Amino acid sequence: MSDVVLALAINGLVWGLIIALIALGLSIIFGLLDIINVAHGDLFMVGTVGGLAVTVATGSFWLALVLVPVLGFVLGLVLERVVIRPTIRQAALTIVTTFGLSMMLQEAVRATYGAQPRRMAPPIEGTVPLFGIDYDVYRIAAALFAALALAGFFLFLQRTKLGTWIRAVRHDPETATALGIPVARICGITFALGTAMAALGGVIAAPITTVEFRTGVDILPFCFMAVVIGGLGNLQGTVAAAVLLAVMEGVVTSVSDPTVARIVSLAVMSGVLLFRPHGLFAGATR
Amino acid sequence: MLSVAGLTADIGRIPVLKGVSISVAPGETVALLGRNGVGKTSTLRAVLGLLRRTGGSVSYQGQDLGGLAPHRLAALGLGYVPQGRGIFPLLTVEDNLCLGLKGKPPADLFAELYERFPRLAERRRQAAGTLSGGEQQILAIARCLIMRPSLIMLDEPTEGIMPKLVSQIRTEIAAIAKRGIAVLIVEQNLRTALRLADRVYLMERGQVVHEATPAALRETPDTVHRYLGVAL
Repeated sequence: MSDVVLALAINGLVWGLIIALIALGLSIIFGLLDIINVAHGDLFMVGTVGGLAVTVATGSFWLALVLVPVLGFVLGLVLERVVIRPTIRQAALTIVTTFGLSMMLQEAVRATYGAQPRRMAPPIEGTVPLFGIDYDVYRIAAALFAALALAGFFLFLQRTKLGTWIRAVRHDPETATALGIPVARICGITFALGTAMAALGGVIAAPITTVEFRTGVDILPFCFMAVVIGGLGNLQGTVAAAVLLAVMEGVVTSVSDPTVARIVSLAVMSGVLLFRPHGLFAGATR
Repeated sequence: MLSVAGLTADIGRIPVLKGVSISVAPGETVALLGRNGVGKTSTLRAVLGLLRRTGGSVSYQGQDLGGLAPHRLAALGLGYVPQGRGIFPLLTVEDNLCLGLKGKPPADLFAELYERFPRLAERRRQAAGTLSGGEQQILAIARCLIMRPSLIMLDEPTEGIMPKLVSQIRTEIAAIAKRGIAVLIVEQNLRTALRLADRVYLMERGQVVHEATPAALRETPDTVHRYLGVAL
């Protein structure tokens, strides 16, 4: 019994880090562009399908791990220009347009890739002993990839000129414009970065999840919960909330079932909205 | 240097500027005065393209700004210190200073700036949000100066500043003008505006209604009272 709890808690941590990566993309897009991207889960799904497709075509998962986020970035640039920018600053309209985008992405994948769910073999086979249980090596690697990507993203935000510009535009786009910062370009790059992060999360998750056109549907509510619990636009809070929620769901699942675990997560989110409407980690450095 | 003719702009469907015409000559300090809501801040924002212009023309050093993206104006030498200072509180003081620079700033420029504003040097690694209101205003002005502008537009630079720091801000603005940089200042503090400006425009309901030198304005207290609601 305790082994099951431990395994599910570790699974939760692994998923939490991957979801943190995806939710971080959602949060930074919300923080900068003020849009609720309903299609964000589907961008993750495109990452899983892209990861599988590139791995099958080239025989190299590692190439997919590099190539798919780059393609995701390019896709994000195009989507921001064609879908997001025409409706920017009109929150209600962006929900409709991104919902339409979600449908289009799902149907495009179903039309080209098929509706059949598929599994992808992990690029690293085998298990290692971890806290007294045998645990998949790839899951540990997946957690490491996600953690590295998260750390890299925060370093990028803090240490590079582009990252500083993104933080400035998030805070005050008008003054940023007056200082010569190309705000429209920064918005495009930020949306593309969010898309690339979702795609990267998709490639990392592909060997440990089902790859199909609806994969993103399940993950989107979880990402939204992480963003709400962490505090809207609070990036560190989003990461912490994603990991906490996933571990909690893992532990609850070990003594109950996944539906009860999701209900508990929703109850936590409701509690946060009632008692700390700005998020559990409001006030943390953004 | 800056020439604004018949400028009109709306916020939503409400016209806020109804044909504003002003000019600023090189090295000149010009003040834009008026009661709250008459269009002073909107004039600055429309000049910079931050508020969409619906009519009229704005030219800077002979170049029409009509077709230029707003973010390109800083490179032409148009500096802006917005109302409320426009500091990025979570960025460090140094990040705030470097924000508008394309590359690494020349070391001598930083040295000169820090010599002039030693408080900023002491707090260069600190988040800008931890500075006092006066220090933030100095930071906003320094951030503008580091980009070597030829015209600085300041919107209410002494608003919300402790009275004992107002004179420091005033001294800094006077020092900017002495260096040959033109200044267009929006100011509620009449005494500050008249002390700094070479020329004054009075605005009412989205239009410029009076133009005078500070000396001439001092001789017509009725005009001041009529448009600003205060006595000299």
